[in-house]
Amino acid sequence: MMAVLLSSCTSRDSANGKVQIEFFQNKPEAKATFDDLIQTFNAAHADIQVTQVNPPDAETVLKTRVVKNDIPDIMAMGATDTYSTLAQSDIFTDLTDSSLVQTIDPNYIQMLKDVTGMDEVTGIPYATNANGIMYNKTLFNEMGLDVPKTWDELIATAQQIKDAGKIPFYFTYKDDWQTNLPFNALGPNLVGIDFYLERRENKVTFKEKYREVAEKQLELMKYGHSDNFGKAYSDGNRAFANGEAFMYIQGTWAIPEIRKANPNVDIGFFPFPTGNDASQIKLVNGIDSLFTIAADTPNRAQAEEFIAFLLEPENIGRYIDEQTLFSAVEGVKQDDPAVQELMPYIEQGKVIDFADHYIPAAVQLNSIVQSFLQNQNIDNYLDTLDKEWDKVANRR
Amino acid sequence: MNKRMAPYYWMTVPAVVLFFVFMTLPAIQGIYYSFTNYNGFGKQYDFVGFKNYFNLFRDDNVGNAYWFTFKFAIVVTILTNILSLLIALGLNAKIKFRNFFRGIYFLPNILSVLIVGYIFNYLFSNVFPIWGQNLGINALSTNILGSESLAWIGIVIVAVWQSVALNTILYLAGLQTISPTLYEASSIDGAGKWREFWSITFPLIAPFFTINMVLAMKNSLMVFDQIVALTNGGPGRATQSISHLIYTGGFEGGEYAYQSANSVIYFIVIAVISILQIRFLQRREMDL
Repeated sequence: MMAVLLSSCTSRDSANGKVQIEFFQNKPEAKATFDDLIQTFNAAHADIQVTQVNPPDAETVLKTRVVKNDIPDIMAMGATDTYSTLAQSDIFTDLTDSSLVQTIDPNYIQMLKDVTGMDEVTGIPYATNANGIMYNKTLFNEMGLDVPKTWDELIATAQQIKDAGKIPFYFTYKDDWQTNLPFNALGPNLVGIDFYLERRENKVTFKEKYREVAEKQLELMKYGHSDNFGKAYSDGNRAFANGEAFMYIQGTWAIPEIRKANPNVDIGFFPFPTGNDASQIKLVNGIDSLFTIAADTPNRAQAEEFIAFLLEPENIGRYIDEQTLFSAVEGVKQDDPAVQELMPYIEQGKVIDFADHYIPAAVQLNSIVQSFLQNQNIDNYLDTLDKEWDKVANRR
Repeated sequence: MNKRMAPYYWMTVPAVVLFFVFMTLPAIQGIYYSFTNYNGFGKQYDFVGFKNYFNLFRDDNVGNAYWFTFKFAIVVTILTNILSLLIALGLNAKIKFRNFFRGIYFLPNILSVLIVGYIFNYLFSNVFPIWGQNLGINALSTNILGSESLAWIGIVIVAVWQSVALNTILYLAGLQTISPTLYEASSIDGAGKWREFWSITFPLIAPFFTINMVLAMKNSLMVFDQIVALTNGGPGRATQSISHLIYTGGFEGGEYAYQSANSVIYFIVIAVISILQIRFLQRREMDL
């Protein structure tokens, strides 16, 4: 029934002689920004008309449209497991030799190749986000605290805050995806992303490599508030905005939400100090949005033209300002004061991808991590990760 | 065709066609996919025979979801029926503002489950814990939805709160079919209120008891919206019902075929339970 409804509202006739390009994207937050950019583009191109489609639950809608072979000309999404499976189903144009790739930071191109396990480039990275630790600068100054650079310093700082009777971290573990933020920072830094490429080939197990990640994640739990599993993401944004906690393990995507709750909060952001050698620590920085072109679209040239337009420094600059993200195009800077401490890492390429982009969605990492933090049994947790991974691999 | 029968066919045939196109056909399609390794959106898939079914029986997430769902369904069915029968008896008595109370008790049925769920979600995380802290009750001072062992109770509370409304209306309808002369006769014979309930009221609403038990059981076996709104299956998988598992695994996890197999089994289970329930409870009706 869904299919019948969908097809009736997505017909793509070029009634006015213009080439119709359908631009499908999955970020409701970015709808208004894209609307403006599209308007500018359409005004400058008499022969092309781009239309934005941004339905709720976009990834599921996209999957149903792929089933019907009604694939939008351009699709924007994160570099997640969904992107990886769709790429492996060969529904995207191979853009390896396209001029679009040239301005993109090669780090992100490599990230895409790692995610899909393919040599072809089928997506143009656009904006990236970062995961780390947000802190309240005002509270840090009041107590005279420095930004921790190593794991030991992080724990010492947290202890100092706790001793003063304040809340070091505001955990929002009622939402299971929030529990994987420390996992996503600790895993790639301590174990590396290659682990997942080897895990796919069954050469290594979580049990061998992930003990330290698990231990550190448990250690952090000592510095939460009284109801770590009772608060959700939206509760946390509100609480952090109002100065209830000193630190908040979070992604940059939360900054606009926190400012909505309290425009005056002075936010700082530092990379997760996962180990004790500060020079080795990398920023977890994943692709928030990338562009793909349908393999069977007759309008590839026009689609590339639109993507090239979005990649122009002025346009992408505007996009990342409004969304508090980072640019995948080289040389475009994010000036937001809250994330300045992250910029050197991005400029020097000291970045690493999110671990969960490499874990099949069917493994349901989030609920496994959440369950582990509740019952705190490390052996059981690592066993479950391996077992679920094998089960899913076996079903494919 | 007999001319007088024509209007009846005009009513029945389109309904049958619609039912077939939108209900039967997708169901058959689902059974077909359950024998493949289709991920829900790729272009190719292979036939894998009964592999999905074998894997289902080895998957402890499936077992866990069945255990949660049955525990939940039994508790909800019992609580809903006790509460709604009590409320229906109260609302059937000659009390003041009777219609006002009937309206109030029916309200939860009008509200969308998701909205009710989100409201309760807010209460559980932000309001009840504050009451608990102020009253000094430790168990209430944190959000019970965040606890692996207690979260299911939160869902039971919301589910019962909402399903009592419909069952109350059905019991009320049943109570009004009982002729007042029976009560007059029994009071002349000197029967107490308790005796009156067990000997007259309860036996005479037996058909309504049957339908309420079956409906409550079926609805709570298919629990989905409440879980999405309250815990999304968590913490961990502590409150993952079967339909929630099918949805998350099938659509978000890209294991469409595997979860299709799960839904085929689930369909059989619900059908068997409903049939057994009706058989058993209807026999009880006839014995009277």
